[in-house]
Amino acid sequence: MRKSTLAGVGLLALSALPAATAQTGTAWLHVRVEEAKEASKVSVNLPMTVVEAVLKASPEIIEKHGKIHIGEEHGLKMADIRKAWKALAEAGDAELVTVESVEENVKVMRKGDLVQVFVDNKAKLGKDGKPVKGGEEVRVEVPVSLVDAFLSGEGEEGNFQAAVAELQKRRGDIVRVKDDDSNVRVWIDEQNTQSPAGK
Amino acid sequence: MTKLAVILGVPIALLATVASLGVVVVDVREGGPDGSRIVVPVPLVFAQAALAVAPAVAPADKLRIPDEALEHIGLAREILEALAKAPDGELVRVEERDELVVITKEGRSLRVRVSGERENVNVNVPLQLALQALPDEHGRIRTAALAGALAGVRFTDLVEVQDGNDHVRVWVW
Repeated sequence: MRKSTLAGVGLLALSALPAATAQTGTAWLHVRVEEAKEASKVSVNLPMTVVEAVLKASPEIIEKHGKIHIGEEHGLKMADIRKAWKALAEAGDAELVTVESVEENVKVMRKGDLVQVFVDNKAKLGKDGKPVKGGEEVRVEVPVSLVDAFLSGEGEEGNFQAAVAELQKRRGDIVRVKDDDSNVRVWIDEQNTQSPAGK
Repeated sequence: MTKLAVILGVPIALLATVASLGVVVVDVREGGPDGSRIVVPVPLVFAQAALAVAPAVAPADKLRIPDEALEHIGLAREILEALAKAPDGELVRVEERDELVVITKEGRSLRVRVSGERENVNVNVPLQLALQALPDEHGRIRTAALAGALAGVRFTDLVEVQDGNDHVRVWVW
């Protein structure tokens, strides 16, 4: 009798598990920062609808109608960026940028539907040859469709609203940063928590 | 006999009416052998009445938020409205050596839990109440709307603080 009760409770608990980390059908943006020295872990999970609302309502960042300027302030014209992007799109998969130096390696490439940016900062060595500061790895993956959407604006403006709408469709990692002390991960999925399956 | 029934009946009926309209209860329990307990029940209608008459008796500038805060009200409203529509979930979790902070969205409320070595704090923020607490476009706090929203938070634990052996709880009954 007791065993069957326990089994029943166990089954009930198991059936409740999927509800705790529910697939909500809504896109959730997750950020996880882990710092070993501080023994701290920070997790942020936001529905993309909330992210969109925050970005829309931040007038300092976003111009009216969900468009932001990139152009001349940064020495680049949006028209040139659009041209370059179009040419890259036609080229297909390719290694776009490779920088190799004593301090760091940078690689930007297009692979399938993604633009991948890899930055590896090498560990700094002291006079005795021992590492003073550990290395750092940065991995950024940007969907091609996201860039397409962003560049669909006119004039010197990026189409921010279209980019956010595109981001809503994205599932998977966006940014990973790893150094000797901390780990940062930003990703999108349909879970409302950072369950082990999502890590 | 009839007189006694009236004498006892009227206050009981009044109390029942006030209680049925809601009561905010503040319950403070001090720890230790000499610790005292204070329970303050405030009928919701009194709080609502006070909020409703506040604009008439309080100076206008006291019911206004500073101009520098006003520019962020739009953002706060957008966030609260989006959160109200969003599905439930754990929004923030901060784990440190001696403290855990968790903010979750549960139904129409935001729940903030802070657990430390000595302190435990639970705060429940009904989103509707938070939205009504936001000032209008001129920065004026809408006390009447706030009073109306209070009725919608009945049977809610608003705040619970456990500090060592001391315990404070505020809830709406």
